[in-house]
Amino acid sequence: MNDTLVEFRQVVKRFDDFVAVKNLNLSIAEGEFVALMGPSGCGKTTTLRMLAGLEKPTSGDILLNGQVMNEVSASERDTPMVWQSLALFPFLNARQNVEFGLKMRGVDSAERKKRAIHWLERLDMGEFIERPVNQLSGGQRQRVALARSLVIEPKILLLDEPLSALDAHLVIRMQGVLSKLQKELGITFVYVTHSQSEAFAMADRVVIMGNGDVAQVGSSREIYRAPANKFVAQFVGRNNIVSGKVISVDNGLVHFKTAFGTFSMRSPKNTAIELDQSIDLSIAADRLSVEARPHGAEEISQIKSGTTNSEPNQVHCTLISEEFVGAVVTLFFETNDGTEFMVQVQERELDELNISQDANYILSWSVDAAHLLDN
Amino acid sequence: MTQSDSTASNNRSSQRLYALTWRLPIIVWQLLFFIGPLLFLIAMSFFLVKNYRMHEAFEMVNWQKMFSRAYFKDAYVFTLGMAAGATVLCSLIAFPAAFALSFKVSENTRRWAIFFLIIPFFTSYLVRTFSWYVILSESGVVNSLLQFIGLGPYTMLNTVFGTMVGYLTLTLPLVIVLQTFSMSQIDKSYIEAAYNLGCGRLRTITSVIIPLAKTGLIIGAVFCFILAFGDFVSPYYLGGSKPPTLSILIIDTTKSGQQWPRAAVVAIVMMLTLFTVAFASIAYAYRKQQR
Repeated sequence: MNDTLVEFRQVVKRFDDFVAVKNLNLSIAEGEFVALMGPSGCGKTTTLRMLAGLEKPTSGDILLNGQVMNEVSASERDTPMVWQSLALFPFLNARQNVEFGLKMRGVDSAERKKRAIHWLERLDMGEFIERPVNQLSGGQRQRVALARSLVIEPKILLLDEPLSALDAHLVIRMQGVLSKLQKELGITFVYVTHSQSEAFAMADRVVIMGNGDVAQVGSSREIYRAPANKFVAQFVGRNNIVSGKVISVDNGLVHFKTAFGTFSMRSPKNTAIELDQSIDLSIAADRLSVEARPHGAEEISQIKSGTTNSEPNQVHCTLISEEFVGAVVTLFFETNDGTEFMVQVQERELDELNISQDANYILSWSVDAAHLLDN
Repeated sequence: MTQSDSTASNNRSSQRLYALTWRLPIIVWQLLFFIGPLLFLIAMSFFLVKNYRMHEAFEMVNWQKMFSRAYFKDAYVFTLGMAAGATVLCSLIAFPAAFALSFKVSENTRRWAIFFLIIPFFTSYLVRTFSWYVILSESGVVNSLLQFIGLGPYTMLNTVFGTMVGYLTLTLPLVIVLQTFSMSQIDKSYIEAAYNLGCGRLRTITSVIIPLAKTGLIIGAVFCFILAFGDFVSPYYLGGSKPPTLSILIIDTTKSGQQWPRAAVVAIVMMLTLFTVAFASIAYAYRKQQR
């Protein structure tokens, strides 16, 4: 693969009593699009700011191009950043903002102007070159901020929640712009966000952080389908977490007991399972099937084809609420003992299900749907 | 007009009446105590003085006399120069202090510092000016200390230096407070963005902080200019009227031969100068970004 561009070696950052980053080890390759994702206060922004030299690590080393950067000041690193607030200078127009970094590097004014205009045009801002930044829309300001960072031709671009202030439809557009730009330029993007959709849509590799630690590093699919631990499963969302105790292992299946029944899963390949071991599982919400089970009725209306009633894992529960996001509906269920389950179904499947609040339902999942989490 | 339209316009006119009622006291105050006296001052500059008594008239003689006198022109140039000098000096001295208070100390320290900067205004400016006597006189604190290292004594009272010390006593705390307010409002991300784009710490001050704080810095300077330009106490007591400023000239003119009309000419010229400077500076401070 490509050469390593950035390396964090046992980096710790403390603010007084608060530990923002605990022992971070991470390398980022040249040309890679890495997203740092996590809830607020997880240390993702601090990590980015340390890379830019805006915070100094309490201990550990940060390497850029194989060189330890700890003592290099922010203004001497070529690590331009796009701020959440964009931080465009209000006393300069679009072009002058873009020229700022070049001016600091002593580029003469004719050359500066040429390069600034080139970048603004490349980002479809050709009409707004001389426009004061406070007369630009959110999306246009975003493009100016990008041009201002990219005009110095860096090997790495840092982005700190750059899209969080934009309207939903603009976010999708800017995601496209960013992805395309990153591929064309072939430079490294380090993208901090709390938004799963942004990270998963753009990044080659996603780093999930929680409480100052890296919780999981992997591709979007890996993290979505195989969350490493409870924290990731919960943060990524739409995962049902089931805790239980192993009661037997046979025929490649693990049988375990929970507060609401006994279930089975395929034995994981790389992890040894012992009897009486406590385990946590995650089951993605779209891998559960729902069947309605009206009071006293023998008949069961089944909505997902391909699943049969012979599934070993079934749980009885009642519906508590539902949430519509476009074509996908998330149904929230509750078992007798109060455990909640989320199930995602297609909106068009809802009619077959006869949703009603007081009806009983059976949720079922295959032995392959459950995924074992690290403790 | 439909019913709802007329209700809306009724509402609007009653709102206007309501707003006017609240504004009325300040309007009356301004008319009685500012516009009225101002008009009288202008009228008075055309009056005549005979046998130490003022007579209503409309003669240009006061204006002609004052504008033909060299001492008036000298005093004008001197006062303008001193006020401009004080403005530059005060802004320069205040800036590092305000910068430190804005960026280098905790919010708590800043609050206390602003409180201590307001304290000098608790005591009369005249008292503060007289205390400089003790410090600056030939046998004062500064000269006594200088004597220890074999220097002096220097004459500091009744000099331009003395006047300047007085001006700064009057204006420095205010200018530091105004500059601190404008700089502490600056969003830190602008400063970080400047560092991030390769701008060194010192250069960030000139290329980012000063442009962002421009309005407040100019307002501070305008206050300094206005206070220094019209000040009578410092140039009279610490500067020893050597040479006289316009405010001293007003006193002298009224005292010598009851020449109130000629003093009015000086006062009007001062007001026009202040008006021009303040208007131009504030227009510049709030100027929209050029295309």
